[in-house]
Amino acid sequence: MTTYPTIFSITEDELDLNHLLEQITLSSTGASAIFTGMVRGTTSRDNPHETVYLEYEAYKPMAEAKMKQVADEIRERWDTIEGIAIVQRIGKLYPRTPTILIACTAAHRDTGVFDAARYGIDRLKEIVPVWKKEVGPNGEEWVEGDYNPQLGE
Amino acid sequence: MNQIKTLFFATLRDRAGVKSVELEIPLQMNVADFKTLLIEKYPVLSGLINHTLVSINHEYVFDETIIPERAEIALFPPVSGG
Repeated sequence: MTTYPTIFSITEDELDLNHLLEQITLSSTGASAIFTGMVRGTTSRDNPHETVYLEYEAYKPMAEAKMKQVADEIRERWDTIEGIAIVQRIGKLYPRTPTILIACTAAHRDTGVFDAARYGIDRLKEIVPVWKKEVGPNGEEWVEGDYNPQLGE
Repeated sequence: MNQIKTLFFATLRDRAGVKSVELEIPLQMNVADFKTLLIEKYPVLSGLINHTLVSINHEYVFDETIIPERAEIALFPPVSGG
């Protein structure tokens, strides 16, 4: 049985998207869905505002354990997924900088690979203990999520 | 007594003014009673505690959970990574 690569980490280093993709690409892989989020300098939707930078922090050992759990949940739901990479960058990050990468690979594109990556980022934002403080022209504020994990999550 | 380590993150750390604290608590104390004890020690946390998440040894826990010996407890707001 093939062991599929699973990468999960919290890092202060720049995200190397090509290198991460290479690590989850097997000879049987023909498709990858990559989600990456970056710091948005200008927000137009909902509450329009400018962002100077975001400062991310993590509870690293728990965050990495929960990233592993997200990867396990992806594999339970889509048995077609080959490689999974989930990497969160922390520290002081400026607009246009990638902060998160979630990538899933599979043999073909019609295997649920897009949904798997989407599930990964949605779930990360629910259970992985990472927070960001938003610093704008007029002050700073912690951004708070709105999800309360239940027993067993 | 139970010797535990408590960590604070994000808003809670800013408010409490510390990253972590070592505490001695009674054996078999549950999370709800522990929160009450923490508010006595850090009254500035009282407004936040009702929407604070709690983990023990890297797993989410709830008010009725009994705190195991030498636990690492963390308190933090709902997560906002990505």
